[in-house]
Amino acid sequence: MDFQGILDRLTAIRAPGLVASDEPRQADPKDKKDKGRAGDPFVIVDAQQLAEFVRACRDDDRLHFEQLVDLTATDPSKDAAELWINVQLLSLKFRHRLAIKALLPKTAASLPSLVPVHRASQWHERECAEMFGIRFVGHPDPRNILLPDDWAGHPLRKDYEFPKEYHGISCE
Amino acid sequence: MANEVTKTMPPNTRLLRTDASEVTVDIRTPDLEINFGPQHPATHGVMRVLMRTDGELVTGAQPHLGYLHRCAEKIGENVEWLQYLPYTDRYDYLASMNNNLGYSLAVEALLGVEIPRRATLIRIICAELNRIGSHLVAFGTYGLDIGAFTPFLYCFREREWMMSLFEKICGARLTYSYIRIGGVFNDAPPGWFEEVARFCDVFERKWPEYVDLLLVNQIYVKRTANVGVISREMALDFGLSGTMLRGSGIDWDLRRDMPYMCYGEIWRDGAYKIPLAKGEMGALGDCWDRSWVRVMEMMESIRIVRWCLDHMVDGPVIGELPKSLKVPAGEAYVGIENPRGELGHYIVSDGGKVAVRTRVRGPSFSNLAVLEDILPGSLVGDAVAIIGSTDIVVGETDR
Repeated sequence: MDFQGILDRLTAIRAPGLVASDEPRQADPKDKKDKGRAGDPFVIVDAQQLAEFVRACRDDDRLHFEQLVDLTATDPSKDAAELWINVQLLSLKFRHRLAIKALLPKTAASLPSLVPVHRASQWHERECAEMFGIRFVGHPDPRNILLPDDWAGHPLRKDYEFPKEYHGISCE
Repeated sequence: MANEVTKTMPPNTRLLRTDASEVTVDIRTPDLEINFGPQHPATHGVMRVLMRTDGELVTGAQPHLGYLHRCAEKIGENVEWLQYLPYTDRYDYLASMNNNLGYSLAVEALLGVEIPRRATLIRIICAELNRIGSHLVAFGTYGLDIGAFTPFLYCFREREWMMSLFEKICGARLTYSYIRIGGVFNDAPPGWFEEVARFCDVFERKWPEYVDLLLVNQIYVKRTANVGVISREMALDFGLSGTMLRGSGIDWDLRRDMPYMCYGEIWRDGAYKIPLAKGEMGALGDCWDRSWVRVMEMMESIRIVRWCLDHMVDGPVIGELPKSLKVPAGEAYVGIENPRGELGHYIVSDGGKVAVRTRVRGPSFSNLAVLEDILPGSLVGDAVAIIGSTDIVVGETDR
């Protein structure tokens, strides 16, 4: 199924939390500031209902997204008020993909964990949590995964300040 | 009789059964926590698995990663597009060509640049040769892990030739940075394609040695069959990919099912097949199945390389790109079939010279997560066989 087909199906089954969709477009020649957008189409989903949305995608027999390939976050800029949660779903049966984006306010970065739906997200969520300071409510094992347990700050946030030293080791 | 025995038993024993003449008791020992790694040859890098054992039985396993974390994603937000390419070499250092390819394809998805046909074919040749090299290491060191030293040397004999082929085309033996955004760095030197063809012929003759020497060797089969079984449901739920999926009998290969470059065309020509494990030596999805898939895939890669050699065209090897590269605003996710599974790059650009986000979805990272579930219940000796069969490269799990 192509992106339009998936979107129609998502609308038809009233997938919980579906907000909008975003497709690549050419730059408007009249508007000089408009640069257009390249890349993949994606759907925008309410972060608090993301787990339910992914569950609906998995269980629907026409979408059949049985694999969660990737879950990550993006901090678009220092001034942005929201983080993005990016999820990539894959259907082996129908050979299609779906990119999902959920917006999450930086001041209250917390959302329900996806682990009950896909075990694959368990480690991705741990990485996301330590790198961006996002809390996944209901995660079974919320420890750091790549960083040391006592690491201060969330390195992939754009406002992250590099530490001067770590346990007496100079980082400069 | 049972009651009398129980009364006289020491406190840390448990009665198993009593016969007329014999009493069997089980001595309860405290669970032992052992560190497997971080410096252990079978972890293929620096990784630690904290195992709880009850005698010889593993009752719990907790992988600890991060010893090789080199901040690849953070670096991606601080260097220019082309400058990041050498960093991609360093996550899965056994398949650097494939990493270069994945990153280049992701940036090209935003750029929309046309890749010359010759560059595409050279890319596929390099990616497939590197896949052979990577599987040779995976298979050879797996034998080494479970006690077979000789096949490892056989595997490295062919890998050495593969690396010298890469040295001729780009000057490096391990970290190539050869596949660039827009094409490849330079054209192949004179006589290179002929040597690749010779390599294919020799490899085809040597390949049965791996099968005879190790794959169907009874000791090897006994060590790997019915060990570390991953069911289909588990494989899907944990997001496994590549050889781990096909080893569990799931017919999925991105080269065929979501073709990129000209893999679709090669498939339609019938040049290669996708080896799919059938559980010949034991349960479907055991360690033997996974190593079988790897050995079979090497021959398929040879066929793909031959197809590309036959269809080679003349022309430029890199598309027209400005020296100071600016990538149009947008975001793209591109997943390719690496030797270890799906290598995904999620790239966000705001139209500038530097990425906003460079996310690397390493296949080893997802494949390793399954350890927490399949190690408990196995024997300590089998833990080495199971970890080896997941074929991880720690540089990629930690990035």
